[in-house]
Amino acid sequence: MPAGPVTAVHDVSLTIAPGDHTAIRGPSGCGKSTLLHMLGCVDTPSSGTLLFSGRDVSTLSDRDRSLLRLRQIGFVFQRFFLLPMLTAAENIELPQAEAGVSKVERRARTRELLEYVGLAARADHRPSELSGGEMQRVAIARALANRPRLLLADEPTGELDGATGDQIATLLDRVSADGTAIAIVTHDASLAERCRRVLTMRDGRVESEITR
Amino acid sequence: MTLGALGFAWRSLRRQPARAALGILGVAAVGALLFDMLLLSNGLVLSMRQMLDRAGFDLRVTASDALPGQGPRLPRGVETAKSLAMLPAVRSAIALRFADATLDQPGGEPLDASLQGIGGTGIRPWTLQSGRDVSGPGEALINESTGRALNVQPGGTLRLHPTCAGASSLPAVTLRVVGIATFPFDGLSSATVVTSMESLSLACGSNDVDDADMIMVASNDATGSEVASDAIRAAVPDLRVMTNEQLVGRFEGGGFSYFRQISTVLTTVTLAFAVLLITVLLTVSVNQRLGDIAALRALGFTRGRVVSDVLCESGLIVGIGGVVSLPLGFLLAAGLDAILKRIPGVPTDVHFFVFEGRALALHVVLLTGTALAAALYPVWLVARLPIAATLRNEVVG
Repeated sequence: MPAGPVTAVHDVSLTIAPGDHTAIRGPSGCGKSTLLHMLGCVDTPSSGTLLFSGRDVSTLSDRDRSLLRLRQIGFVFQRFFLLPMLTAAENIELPQAEAGVSKVERRARTRELLEYVGLAARADHRPSELSGGEMQRVAIARALANRPRLLLADEPTGELDGATGDQIATLLDRVSADGTAIAIVTHDASLAERCRRVLTMRDGRVESEITR
Repeated sequence: MTLGALGFAWRSLRRQPARAALGILGVAAVGALLFDMLLLSNGLVLSMRQMLDRAGFDLRVTASDALPGQGPRLPRGVETAKSLAMLPAVRSAIALRFADATLDQPGGEPLDASLQGIGGTGIRPWTLQSGRDVSGPGEALINESTGRALNVQPGGTLRLHPTCAGASSLPAVTLRVVGIATFPFDGLSSATVVTSMESLSLACGSNDVDDADMIMVASNDATGSEVASDAIRAAVPDLRVMTNEQLVGRFEGGGFSYFRQISTVLTTVTLAFAVLLITVLLTVSVNQRLGDIAALRALGFTRGRVVSDVLCESGLIVGIGGVVSLPLGFLLAAGLDAILKRIPGVPTDVHFFVFEGRALALHVVLLTGTALAAALYPVWLVARLPIAATLRNEVVG
C-alpha cells in the first residue's frame, strides 16, 4: 500500500534578517532539515509563501532558483560533499566559476577564503588528503565563495569530534560576526548555544523560540 | 584545467581510471567493428570500380543487357571490334570470348582454368611480365600461378581440355606458351590462359571464329567515355554499351548488395552494444555521485550544467574510444580482408574494406549519436534528481 503524504513542516512563520545567527533544533524527523531546504530554495512549500529579499521564490523558474542559490545562499552539509577530484582551492573556485567570476578574481577570492578558514597551506590538497575538520572548513569557504547573504548549515559538526566541532562553531561565529546571516540545523547543544536565536521544532511546528 | 563541464568530465574520468579505461576500450573495440562495417558496406563496389578503371577499358559492348559473359554471343565480334576501333572517340577495342578448360598437370590432378580468346589489336587489359603477347593461332599467354603449377615458361607448351557451351568430349589441344602476364581479375591461385580467337574456336570445335562474348573499349582520353558510348550506340544500335559505372551499378544491385545488408545489420548490432555499454558505465557513475550532484545543485549549479557534465563525460568516453578505434579498425580490416581474399575466385586486386572519406564522416556521426543516446538515461536521472530528498538520503544512508 502506498504511503500517504507527510506534512514535514506545518504553520511555520520565520524571518531571517541580515546578520541573524539562528539555530534550528529538534528531534530527528521533526522537519528541521526540510525547513532548512525550503529556506535554501531546494524544496518548495506546498502552501504558504517563501520570500527572499522580498521576491516570492515560488514564482521563480528552476534556473532562476539555481542562480539565486548560487549568488545569495551558501550551503554547508554534514557530509561536506567536496568534489574528490578537485583540490581544496578548486572546490572553492567552483561556485565562482559557475557564477562567471573571472579567473584572476576567483583566484584572489579563493586565497582570501583559504586564509580566512586557516587552510592557506592546504590549497592544493585533495579532500582525501584533508581531515574531517579541514574538509568542513573548505566546505564553509566554498559556501562563502560568492559572498552569499545567507549561509545554511545542516549538521555542520555532525561528522566531527568535539574539539573539531568547536573549531567549526568558532568559524561560523566569525562568519556571522562579519555580517552573513546564518541558519544552522543541529543536534549539537553547544553549537546551538552560540547562536543568538534558537528555534526548537517538534512534529513540523516551531515549539519554542529563544532569542538572546 | 578548466572548471567547465568538459574539464569536470575529464577529471571525473581520471578519478576512476579503471572505469574510464573500460569504457574507452569498449568503445574502441565496438568503434573498430563499426568502422570496418562502414568500410565493408561500399568497399567491394569501390574496389571493383578501381579495378575496372585500372584495366584501361571504360566501356563494354555486349549483345544483350546480361552481364558480360552471361548473355548471347556477339556475332562477328572481332570484325565489330575492329570497326569500333576506327571511331574517333575510341582509342582501342578488343573482342573477348570465354570458356573453361582443364590443364594437364605433370604428375598431378588436372588444373581448372579460365580460357579466353582475344581478337583485335590495341591495348590489352593485362600486364606482360615476361615473353610476348599472343599474336597468332596456337599461342598462349598464361598467368604466373599457371606457370608455377605447370612448371612452364615462355617457349614451353601446355595441354588443355576445353569445356565449351554446346560441345562435349572435345579433344585436348596443345598450345605454345609465349608469355606470362598479370591479369586484373585473377584470384590468388586461379589459372588463366589467353589464346587467339581462332585457337579458342578450334579448341571448342566451332566455326564461329569471329564470335565474341564481349568487346572491351577504351575511349579516347580527350573525348571521354560518354562520347565514345554515344558513338558506339550510333554505329551498332543493336548492341548494348555499358560504362564501368553502369557495370558496377549492376554488381551493386546484385550480389554486392548482400555485403551492404550484412554491414547494416552488424552496424546496428554494434551500435546497440556501444549504447548499452556506455549507458551502464555512465549510470553506475552517476548513481555513485548522486550526493555530489545534489550538493552541486544546492550550491546553485543549474540543471543544464549538471546535464552538460554527463553529456561531456559520455562524449569524452566515446570521443577517445572513437579515435582509438580508427587504427584498430584499419588493422582489423587488413586482417579480415586477407581472410576474405582467400575465397576461391576472388581477384587478388579486389578489397572488401576500402577507406573513403564518407565512411569516416559517417563513423563520426554514428559515434556522436551513440554518445548522445547512451547519455539519455543518465541525463534523465540527473535532470530529475530531487535535491532535498537526495541530500537527506545521503545523510540517512
